[in-house]
Amino acid sequence: MNIAPSHPPPRVIARNRAAVMEELRRLLPGSARVSTAFPLGLAAIDSCLPEGGLACGATHEIVADTENATAAAFGFIMALLARLPRFHPLIFVMPVYGQRRYGRLHGHGLNAFGLDPARLIMVETAHRKEALWAMEEALRSRVPAAVAGLIDKLDLKLSQRLQLAAIDAGLPLLLLRLAQNLESSAAATRWRVGTAEAARDRFGLITRPRWDLKLERCRNGRPGEWVVEYDHVTHRFSLVAALADSALSRGAGSEPVRQAC
Amino acid sequence: MAQAANPSGRLVDVEQPFVLVAAAAGGPRVTALNEAADAAGLTSGEPLSDARAKTGFLQVRPLDAAVDAAALRHLTLWATRYTPTASPWGEDNGADGFFLDIEGAAHLFGGEERLIADLAQRLEGFGLRVRLAIAATPGAAWALSRFHETPLIALPSGQEAEAFAPLPIEALRLSPETSTMLHRLGFKTIGSLLDKPRAPFAARFSAELLRRLDQALGRVEEPLVPIVAPPVYHSLRYLLEPIFTQEAVVSYASRLMQALVHVLERDDKGARAIKLSLYRVDGAVETIDIGLTLPTRSIAHVSRLIELKLEALGASENAGFGFEAVGLAITHAESMSARQTELTSAMEEGGQAEDCAALIDKLRQRLGPQSVRRFAAVESHIPERAEMLAPVTDSSSPVERSETGERNRAKRGGRDVAQTMPPPPCYASSPSPATRGRKDSFAAEEEQTRPLLLLPQAEPAEEVMALAPDGPPRRFCWRGITYDVKRAQGPERISAEWWRAKEQKPEPTRDYFLLEDADGRRFWLYCEGLCGRETNAARWFVHGLFA
Repeated sequence: MNIAPSHPPPRVIARNRAAVMEELRRLLPGSARVSTAFPLGLAAIDSCLPEGGLACGATHEIVADTENATAAAFGFIMALLARLPRFHPLIFVMPVYGQRRYGRLHGHGLNAFGLDPARLIMVETAHRKEALWAMEEALRSRVPAAVAGLIDKLDLKLSQRLQLAAIDAGLPLLLLRLAQNLESSAAATRWRVGTAEAARDRFGLITRPRWDLKLERCRNGRPGEWVVEYDHVTHRFSLVAALADSALSRGAGSEPVRQAC
Repeated sequence: MAQAANPSGRLVDVEQPFVLVAAAAGGPRVTALNEAADAAGLTSGEPLSDARAKTGFLQVRPLDAAVDAAALRHLTLWATRYTPTASPWGEDNGADGFFLDIEGAAHLFGGEERLIADLAQRLEGFGLRVRLAIAATPGAAWALSRFHETPLIALPSGQEAEAFAPLPIEALRLSPETSTMLHRLGFKTIGSLLDKPRAPFAARFSAELLRRLDQALGRVEEPLVPIVAPPVYHSLRYLLEPIFTQEAVVSYASRLMQALVHVLERDDKGARAIKLSLYRVDGAVETIDIGLTLPTRSIAHVSRLIELKLEALGASENAGFGFEAVGLAITHAESMSARQTELTSAMEEGGQAEDCAALIDKLRQRLGPQSVRRFAAVESHIPERAEMLAPVTDSSSPVERSETGERNRAKRGGRDVAQTMPPPPCYASSPSPATRGRKDSFAAEEEQTRPLLLLPQAEPAEEVMALAPDGPPRRFCWRGITYDVKRAQGPERISAEWWRAKEQKPEPTRDYFLLEDADGRRFWLYCEGLCGRETNAARWFVHGLFA
């Protein structure tokens, strides 16, 4: 019995199961999940990252430079989330102590930030253990486009566990960390977000938030430091011209401007 | 039923005559008595003074009806291990027992005789003196259990009339007035009523007499009010050996679910709410309620949820001497059509909605139903009231929801006259690049400035220095740190909602400012009260943080 196949079978000459799975995954109809990284859309930053963007199956730590910069770090995470494919929900894990301290995410604020609040599923947890459990469970389900959350303390062992869960799921895990208690971790990248003066229009009104972004640690990549601004309409990051004369740009709006209601 | 009331104070010696009394017309009357009191010749219903006269030493306690009712409820819940329809007796039944509707359940115990023997043995094990009767109608069962000479009786259907004839007329659950009147007229037994014409009774007595008679003989339905809502699907397993461990409970629960899956598949139904009942050997019942976001038939999912719930309960779950029966009831089912699963189903939207529901179920089961929530806009000007976090309970995926919002918005824009219900409040439409290009300079003015983070409660800002009374602050102190304001934007004036202010005094108007300090930190502050009109000393609050 020797029947010639109508089309040649895919040449699966992989040696182990993982490779076979990889090959099969590649053959399945394309989906956003299969991509291994999502770029920030800024060549200067993406070139520093090993895969030309934030790796999907990995943990990324976003550290608030000072306690006052926590809102900026929140903003950077939300900007990253807003850039993800739209047809999957997003999970944000927030322990109650974080909420008491930094406030809670505001739906209208998220909306103004370009992230549809309906996409976000908020998970409130009583303590760190539950938050870690919820993150791991969300990753393992492979339902959301990304999992984000606030974690105050994380030792190497736990971060390895989260990193493994993220690798298994092939989903990005964005962890908001606080500068005062950072330990060594298994995260693929560590970003440090600081505050910067916002971009303003000619009437002195804020148009785009700006952050002082530092890629502090990046496995197989290069560290770097940039001042980026985020456009909530196009979901795009852009670099702030380093040579702009800040004195000039500030001239028009240095006095508080009253806006008619 | 034995009385459970045992008020604090001196202990009751159960070997000595002991009665419970309740206030009645003409002084307190005995409502319950123990064996010693019975031996001393006391009877239920006689005045307390008579009872005291009959016996030298009598222990008396007032009747606590609430404790009695709670104990009866507890016992009736336990009895759901025999059948899901169990109904405790109300006041008109004497409030000292319960009905079990064992239709279709008796064969599980090897017949009616075996069932009541088993029930009697277990109840006696709890220290109760029981009288049980099985009959075709609740009324007949009630009468036989009270007035038949044998404590356990199963009456075959169709023999009610013969069995009733010798019973006294009190067996019909009549009001005292009616039975007194019947006695006066010479009717002592039910048999003397049975062969009499009905019309004179209907004319002479209230409708109660004939209704009770018909109920006892099965001519009129007597509806039972079950103690728990009867489940849509139910499966129960009796164990030879009591189980203690969580693994055993989960494994039995998944076996019960497996038994139900076939029925669910046949009816195209999926479970939305599940109740797991664990019957303890000592008569207590532990129930675990599980709510599901999407109808499911998945055994693995349900058993995982039960496991999570048991873990969350942890120490508070007390197995006691072990569980001797496990019951799984589906209390709410919804239609769920069968879907063919394919190799690539993980890529499809349908599979994704189910996975999402499964994840939400898991999180809710472990963290509590209020912990997994989603933003929902509320129509209000006040920032803290303009939205709420609603528990994710409906089955629609977030993407679908936002699309509905989009549709509603489109409808409103098109001035659809047929629309009578206002659309649900939704978030302002996000700016799109198309609209952005047209009105570049007014983009910020059009979009309301709202912070990314809103503090749970507005926190007072101290040492506020403002140049003008209603101008933006130049410096303020919040949480112990002083900030120098570099730029300010505002104010945005938000006044109180007058339609809310009827009962309490109106809230002051707020002027919101967006402030940026020298380091680029952005705050949302407001000044409470209009200077000079509402208040003389304006107070400042930090309400939110911008990214």
